[in-house]
Amino acid sequence: MSRIPVMVAAVLAAAAAFPRPLAAWEGQALLDVLPTAALAPNGASSSLMQTETTEVTLQGALSHTQPIAEGLSLAGTMWGMADTLPSQTPLYTPPSKIDLESRILELKLVWEAVPGTLIVTTGKEVIHPSSGFFRTPLNVISHGALGNAANISGSAVGTWEEGWIGEDVTVLFGSFSLSNFFSPRLPWGSGTDTMLRWISFPQNDWQNLTRLDVRLGEADIRVLGLLSTGGPGTADPDLHATFGAGVDTNIGEALTVRAEASIADSVSRVVVTDDKLLLSASQTVSWAPRALAGFTWTNKDQLSIMAEYYYNGSGFAGDDYQNLIRYTQNRHGTGADLMDQFGTFSAGQHYGFARISGNIGDKLSAAAWTQMNLQDLSGLSAIVLTLTYDRWTVNASLMDAWGSTDTEAGLSPLLWRADLEVSLYL
Amino acid sequence: MKKIFAVSLIAVSVLLGASGVFAETPEELLARVDARRYVPDLSFVLQMTSFDKDAQVESNTLWGFISGVGTQNKSLIAFADPASVKGRRMLMDGNIVYLLFPRTTNPIRLSPLQVLLGQASNGDVVRTGFSQDYDVTSLTDADRDGVACLKFDLSVKAGSKDASYARVALWVEKETLRPVYAEFFTGDKLLKKAFYKSYTEALGKDIPFVVDIYDGDNPQKHTVMEYKKVGQKHVAPTVFRRDYLPSWTPEQPR
Repeated sequence: MSRIPVMVAAVLAAAAAFPRPLAAWEGQALLDVLPTAALAPNGASSSLMQTETTEVTLQGALSHTQPIAEGLSLAGTMWGMADTLPSQTPLYTPPSKIDLESRILELKLVWEAVPGTLIVTTGKEVIHPSSGFFRTPLNVISHGALGNAANISGSAVGTWEEGWIGEDVTVLFGSFSLSNFFSPRLPWGSGTDTMLRWISFPQNDWQNLTRLDVRLGEADIRVLGLLSTGGPGTADPDLHATFGAGVDTNIGEALTVRAEASIADSVSRVVVTDDKLLLSASQTVSWAPRALAGFTWTNKDQLSIMAEYYYNGSGFAGDDYQNLIRYTQNRHGTGADLMDQFGTFSAGQHYGFARISGNIGDKLSAAAWTQMNLQDLSGLSAIVLTLTYDRWTVNASLMDAWGSTDTEAGLSPLLWRADLEVSLYL
Repeated sequence: MKKIFAVSLIAVSVLLGASGVFAETPEELLARVDARRYVPDLSFVLQMTSFDKDAQVESNTLWGFISGVGTQNKSLIAFADPASVKGRRMLMDGNIVYLLFPRTTNPIRLSPLQVLLGQASNGDVVRTGFSQDYDVTSLTDADRDGVACLKFDLSVKAGSKDASYARVALWVEKETLRPVYAEFFTGDKLLKKAFYKSYTEALGKDIPFVVDIYDGDNPQKHTVMEYKKVGQKHVAPTVFRRDYLPSWTPEQPR
């Protein structure tokens, strides 16, 4: 009997010996209400009519960090969403009234094998080397945003993103850090392993990402290389390479600047071969670069202005771009949607982004941003108001697509979108 | 949010001390003033509360640790409270500041003005590495609220280009060498006033556990910074690297 208090005391003493972690539990619940208008085919005729709907989503994420021993901790984030319109367009309604989705975004064991010098991370993690805001050329293994809370700010990186399962080893020495992330191929069939879709995306390739970062003066310089392959017997057994480099630094008191580029040995795309018959063909672009340059300027009155330029080397230009425009004009909801094959608003080669933000009061801030296709001068614009309190925030935003009917944004089925977003924090 | 960054700078700076040994020259005396408060490798829990008149505007709790002094300081800071900013982590390396949001892996680089918005320049006001960044231009006896003090008039050293204030007037209690009050100027313009309070013996030093900083333009606005816990944590210099920030698991001082 007397051993029990001794054991309890020993356990308590051992527990007390561990540092108390910050943010042992973190949670966020987010409710979005999104009235949306889009152009839809009007019955059997070729004309279009405006249709409107309201999407309601409830998303939640719970994170936990647990120190296990000195220099060893376990961290994870689970995310789930209930969505009334996962396509985010009234043109494609879900088969059931509410679509449910969940993922383990991260679950990783972090071990500082040599404190501050050698860090080994095993498990699932997100890796984002890019400093870009509206496009991220250096996020070469990004899964993209989950849910629908990504585009309020115009940021390419969403509130939640699923990571990759693998092992990352980082060595920090002097002004350098060298990291290597290896991610194995973990395929699974959505038809056979139905439970896995609640946990993880499949990983269809072997990937190895090496990053080198160095501080030179006040500038941060990074280079990276990614090797990936599906391996023998897969649909894409070839070895592919992507290389990238970037720099960001401060200039004076008010300005931060950034520039980065990546280039892949091959990028697949679908080109239009006949815009009237809606015919297309797959094509591979070799060594297609993506590049971004931008700045953020802030003044003493809490006003911040950001501008970025993005070049998409695998995007379309010249006759290919005009063919794509005419194809989309003739498509009327039939045939493949080739305009969004690189993601939303990325079919061309040249894009610009500008954002202005500032505080209106102690709790209220405002932002306005626009993305522009510099080839056809069409774009997306939004205004956002944010009210912030200790345990909750409210975002109200309105986004509009603008441009003539022979432009990328003008041809977008999206006309406008309003969003009321309430976030609660645990 | 930007105010939060600003307030965090305060935290960083208030933790800074300067080393020195007792001597009778004004410079060495100033170094001793710093040394009485300076704790190497200080870890802390700090609460910072901003007021407009008597109304509380916001309050933040920060965990972190700091290395170095004056404009050469480096620190890691984590936001513990309120819940809307909990989990954010910040690296401050002199004038270069990175912010990492929860569930992201690439820290964002901030410009000095982004950090120093709002109450922010408080961070520089309470930079206590006086002897490292400033030369003594005059040292006089002065009385402050009935307490016999030494008044140091300081001007920024030529090599301290990152220091935000060209001139500082510092009142130090004569008997204890505790700073009690300071005024911070750019040119002839008074930007901030700082009151050092609640001195407490900790870690073998005499630390002001509360620093109250008033805006020079609007004396209704002030920020109270209060240590809730202090300790020491020796870390490798490489933890003050941008790439370490995503791996950092913040913890309370032990």
